[in-house]
Amino acid sequence: MMKSAMKRYLFRGGICVLAMLLTTAAAAADLQPAPVHFSSKYGSMSFPASFPAGTTLTITQWSHFVPRYDKWFDQYAQEWGKHNNVKVTVQHINLGDLVPTLAASIAAGKGSTLIETISTPASFIEGLQDLADVNHAAEQAFGKQDAVCTSQSYLPLKKAWYGYCHGWVPDPGDYRISLWKAAGYPNGPRSYADLYAGGVKIFQKTGIPVGVGMSPELDSEFYARSLIWSYGGSVFDKCGNVALDSPQVVKAVEFQTKLFKDAETPEVFSWNPASNNQAFVSGQASYIQNSISFYRTAQQANAKNAADTGFSPGLKGPGGEVHQTSHVWFIYVLPKYVTDHEQTLAAKKFLLDLTANYSWATRESELYNFPAFPKTVPQLWAHNGWLDHDASSVPTDKLEVLRNAVEWTAWPGYPGFANPAASEVYNTHLLSTMMAQAALGKKTPAQAVKDTAAQVASIVAKWKAKGYIGCPAK
Amino acid sequence: MNGAETTARVGLGDRDRLLGWLMLAPSLLYIAALVGLPFFLAIALSMTSATVGDPSIHGFVGLGNFVQVLHESAFPLALRNSVIVTLGTLILTLVLATAESELLVRDFRGKRLLQILLILPWAMPVSLAAIDWLWLLDSEFSPVDWLLRHIHLLGPGSPLGPANHLYYYGKEWLGLGAIVAINVWRLLPFATIIVLAGRTSIARDIFEQAQVDGAGFFRTLFSITLPALLPILMVASMFTALLVFGDMAVTALTTRGGPGYATQVLPYWAYLKGIDGGALSEGAAVALFMFPVLLAGAILALRMAYRAESQGDRP
Repeated sequence: MMKSAMKRYLFRGGICVLAMLLTTAAAAADLQPAPVHFSSKYGSMSFPASFPAGTTLTITQWSHFVPRYDKWFDQYAQEWGKHNNVKVTVQHINLGDLVPTLAASIAAGKGSTLIETISTPASFIEGLQDLADVNHAAEQAFGKQDAVCTSQSYLPLKKAWYGYCHGWVPDPGDYRISLWKAAGYPNGPRSYADLYAGGVKIFQKTGIPVGVGMSPELDSEFYARSLIWSYGGSVFDKCGNVALDSPQVVKAVEFQTKLFKDAETPEVFSWNPASNNQAFVSGQASYIQNSISFYRTAQQANAKNAADTGFSPGLKGPGGEVHQTSHVWFIYVLPKYVTDHEQTLAAKKFLLDLTANYSWATRESELYNFPAFPKTVPQLWAHNGWLDHDASSVPTDKLEVLRNAVEWTAWPGYPGFANPAASEVYNTHLLSTMMAQAALGKKTPAQAVKDTAAQVASIVAKWKAKGYIGCPAK
Repeated sequence: MNGAETTARVGLGDRDRLLGWLMLAPSLLYIAALVGLPFFLAIALSMTSATVGDPSIHGFVGLGNFVQVLHESAFPLALRNSVIVTLGTLILTLVLATAESELLVRDFRGKRLLQILLILPWAMPVSLAAIDWLWLLDSEFSPVDWLLRHIHLLGPGSPLGPANHLYYYGKEWLGLGAIVAINVWRLLPFATIIVLAGRTSIARDIFEQAQVDGAGFFRTLFSITLPALLPILMVASMFTALLVFGDMAVTALTTRGGPGYATQVLPYWAYLKGIDGGALSEGAAVALFMFPVLLAGAILALRMAYRAESQGDRP
């Protein structure tokens, strides 16, 4: 009796273990990207199974922060070319050369078929082809695009899709776990008040400063916007009009002035886009706002440092609002000088095929690239999926905080869409300059905000006169 | 000898005017294509509403772009800094180039090696040089700071302050000083070669005579060497000033014009507005503000050089 009960027990136990193993194996198989596939139909757009001989496609894009992505992309592009009978050439350039290259190509009337920018190319709108057909086909095939992407490639006033955004990058807070734990914040700062209180405490005790920049570069520009939005202010209103000169923005600048005086050093005025990564990885910053690329580098180069890195969502402002800027957008543009029909069609097919295979892009970028169309990468959001079970992280759910990043992520032009004025304000570093002027005491926070608002207003007026700013008629 | 042969013999070689124009033609073509055309294009662009997306010359706005950039707080700072960086570089380069040429005109052991070392910075691309200096004066890992800390000039209780770093590129005057230092470092070899060429052309017997008369080093330097070098120093000044005033690479790779606009210079501001910002016409307007300064500088330097040369020719 006892023996048969034991047998039954063991048998049932064995079945359970087997079921669990099979489920795990099936789940692991589900987490693998589907084999690369190319389709000749996406939504309302159809493409030839093979392009006529002699069709070419040249692509210029940045050298990705995660080198593994470039390696994968180059192979993928060649495979795509072979399958579609298109000669594909890919060139990678420094991120700082993207805008000048696009400007030079448009001025010369010749250049690459597709150029990928990493921020909104709205200021180039007059020289770019409308990609409404590709964007509509993508929405039909892959579902709704995240607003963080749509806002950077579509101008409602002109009903113009001046780019095709295939991905974006969240920008969490990055904190040194041991330092913040010792300061009484085991989960890192969760608000700007925490950032100040904890940051000052750490700086006084260890000499390690907070690492949020005020230099003319993109990370400082992102931080300035995140702070302003979380304080309830904004640079533009929904229609693109200037909204900078407000008490909320002055309060945000006052906060930054105080934070600099009590918890930062003048190095934050001289930073380039890599500097805060460098400071954090070398243990010289207690908190930065940056994407996970530096963490991936640290995992290879300094595992101890990587293990001591924690991620937090956007910081709450005094009113509880949380908005942090996206770090990078992957936006392909098709300049007007591309007139060859086959080449244009091939470019559009390339964009849609890339989106269809986006789980590869996300995986090969080591989760740096988030999909513009979330449904294309189910592995990212799955339970025990890529985000909450990143095998290379300790603990494995370290990146889980990025799951809801889209909820607290904003963008240049927020709460409206990006437009040429928002692009010009961002690219000429007006907001980081405003913060620096106040922090250095060259201007009072109120004066710095007022002067910058006047500069933004003149940029807006210029583009308004050209018909690119305003709300679409209802 | 027939008539045709006579004509051939007095042909091209004897027609000085024609030969002169023919020999000048390549330079003129080069200047017209690569200097003249872009210059007039910049004037045309600066009076339009052209953008990077639509760089065609359209939408005439008169002097609107010039008025616009004049009203921006970056303009006076960029102009001031361009002048400071140019003058600072010029003065230091000329002093050091003269000193180096005085050294190199003499014979001593290791002269060849020194010549090679002195010329090396000139052979280095400006971007590479700026990156070297970026690390040399890095806010965290600067070896200069490390050295200063070790000789107790930097750090708590030291003359240069309690901080362990000087943050060269994060401070207004240290940032400008660093830009001047980088420019001097990269332009010094060129200036030295020009000055050395002038120095070696001064007749040796003049120096021997001065020595016999009992003139010391400084008396010889200020009464003989420098007056004789004046025309060549003018040429060196002009080249140095033109190269520095129009350069944006050093600023772009080091301070990026910050903090605030404290180290901004006109060429980089023009690039930032015109290319990165997309306001091509405003960028052209900023760039054109450099033209009168450069023109005045060039005319002044050439007039001084001619005057010095004609004084030198007098018996």
